[in-house]
Amino acid sequence: MPESKVKSKRNADVALLSGLTRRQLKELEEKEKTPAQKTAEAIIMILPLLCGCIAMAEYVILPNNSRNSKPWSYVWVLGAAMCIYLVCFIVSLIRRARGEKQFYEKLRYKAPRYAALFIFLAVYDYLTLKTGTLTQPFVPCMNYIINAFLVDYKMLADCTLNTLKLLFIGYSIGVTLGLITGIACGYSKKARYWLDPIIKFLGPIPTSTWIPIIMVVATSLFGGAVFIIALGSWFAVTVASLTGISNVGKEYFEAARTLGATNRQLVLHVAIPHAMPSILQGCTQAMSSSCVAIMIAEMLGVKSGLGWYMTWQTGWASYDKSFAALFVICFIFTLVTNGLERIKRYLLRWQNGAEK
Amino acid sequence: MSDDKKKVCLKLENVSKVFAKVESDGVTHALQDVSTEMQSGEFVSLVGPSGCGKSTILRLVAGLITPTLGRVTVDGKEVDGPSPQRGLVFQNPTLFPWLTVEKNISFSLDMQGAADGKAEKVKHMLEITGLERFKSDYPAQLSGGMAQRVALVRTLINEPEILLLDEPLGALDAFTRMNMQDEILNIWTQRRQLALMVTHSIDEAVYMGTRVLVMEANPGRIVADIRISEDFPRDRSSASFVEYRNEILNKLHYGGKNA
Repeated sequence: MPESKVKSKRNADVALLSGLTRRQLKELEEKEKTPAQKTAEAIIMILPLLCGCIAMAEYVILPNNSRNSKPWSYVWVLGAAMCIYLVCFIVSLIRRARGEKQFYEKLRYKAPRYAALFIFLAVYDYLTLKTGTLTQPFVPCMNYIINAFLVDYKMLADCTLNTLKLLFIGYSIGVTLGLITGIACGYSKKARYWLDPIIKFLGPIPTSTWIPIIMVVATSLFGGAVFIIALGSWFAVTVASLTGISNVGKEYFEAARTLGATNRQLVLHVAIPHAMPSILQGCTQAMSSSCVAIMIAEMLGVKSGLGWYMTWQTGWASYDKSFAALFVICFIFTLVTNGLERIKRYLLRWQNGAEK
Repeated sequence: MSDDKKKVCLKLENVSKVFAKVESDGVTHALQDVSTEMQSGEFVSLVGPSGCGKSTILRLVAGLITPTLGRVTVDGKEVDGPSPQRGLVFQNPTLFPWLTVEKNISFSLDMQGAADGKAEKVKHMLEITGLERFKSDYPAQLSGGMAQRVALVRTLINEPEILLLDEPLGALDAFTRMNMQDEILNIWTQRRQLALMVTHSIDEAVYMGTRVLVMEANPGRIVADIRISEDFPRDRSSASFVEYRNEILNKLHYGGKNA
């Protein structure tokens, strides 16, 4: 190539670099995949479907060890899960063809996990329904659990609502009060003087300790449960926001004061935002302690909710239904924690520093 | 110098400031019987070893602390607390990390509820710093020099009568530092407010100041008040510049034999 041409090509390359986004840079620096790597990736992408087929075959072909009524529920659920993955897979391929790789890469990252889930289901089914290594009906197979859902979904939904209601009333009362006391203590010495002993005295008592007393004292069990949940969250949030606010550097207050902030503004616009990471940490902790407290409360006294449903069904030896409830509990707590995490990430978006 | 701006006169009258020590029952004499006077249009540099009370003077003027004895007055009125009219820039930018650059700059106006002309003022400040591109970024994404620029205009947006600079360039690298010196001088030349800057660098003090106050520690006091009567921009290598520098070094007992 003549020198001028080489030069102009180099110039064009450099010009391309100037308008580069982060993703483009990643693609630019990425090495071309070898055929072996490409095959491996394709296999990984269809692995969940293969494993789904294995789980399906295992369930349909192997003979049952115990009675299995309404055997097709599990097949439907398994098939639905595979269909969802297939749809996602196709969508991701279409998007990738259009140059939007994000969804495909996310799916590629998660595919081994989905595959493992199907394998787990197959193994579980083998151990329960097919061989009885895990004795029926104490550890019910998936088909039983799904059928329990189908039979009792109305009651489960009702219990879920009750649990969520109790959880959110208690949690929001606790968090609100916790924020008030925590911020007051963090900022005002007087408030700290009076509230500190209360926090020190009430704080370390595990929430479950209160339950027997509350069951006797409280006029309504619902109110008592709200109190227990609120108390646990109150403590977690109080301590977290107190620490957060006392850790705000003096220089931030000084800067704000020289910029004309009043005392009230110092609290609202400097102390609280600065303490936000710590406060949100406290809120997350409060949520997990609330989840524990609510289950204990429902199992011991409150006559509604998922915890109550579980103990009640276990009492009637309906283990399939208890397991169904367990799944629901698992599901909603994951949902709640995830939601909280998302809120946290949004509120703390300023913490993301420069891209490394 | 335009006269449409009100001129202010800052006075320290026999000011002493004593701090209680944290670890023992003793006290530190940060300032002892300091008296001086400054006017709008001056750029006063404070130099001296650490512990000589340079920053204490700034914090007294800012109203963040009160003198143990004596008075600090602006136009005869005693300073009784911080005010946006006495803007302070710290060594660390102390930008609020949860606010964008733009919000950091408008923080002061937001706090004072000054809505009129806010957008234009913020825009103007962004232009001065050349940070328009970064206005929606968070401080964590800025370099040290950029952050300090934002901190500077965050204070300047109030058009303070007195601009207090507490080693504003101390944490910057040498080149950014020299650029920022010129930038600060440019800003100051436009309005000729009273600027009071603490620095550890004698070069910087002479390069920027119309007046240099040399201080000494134990107890903190002013030992020399030197006027630098040279035009801006100054030449760091000129004979008179070197002379001023040597004079200050001598006052601080770091001078050479020939001085």
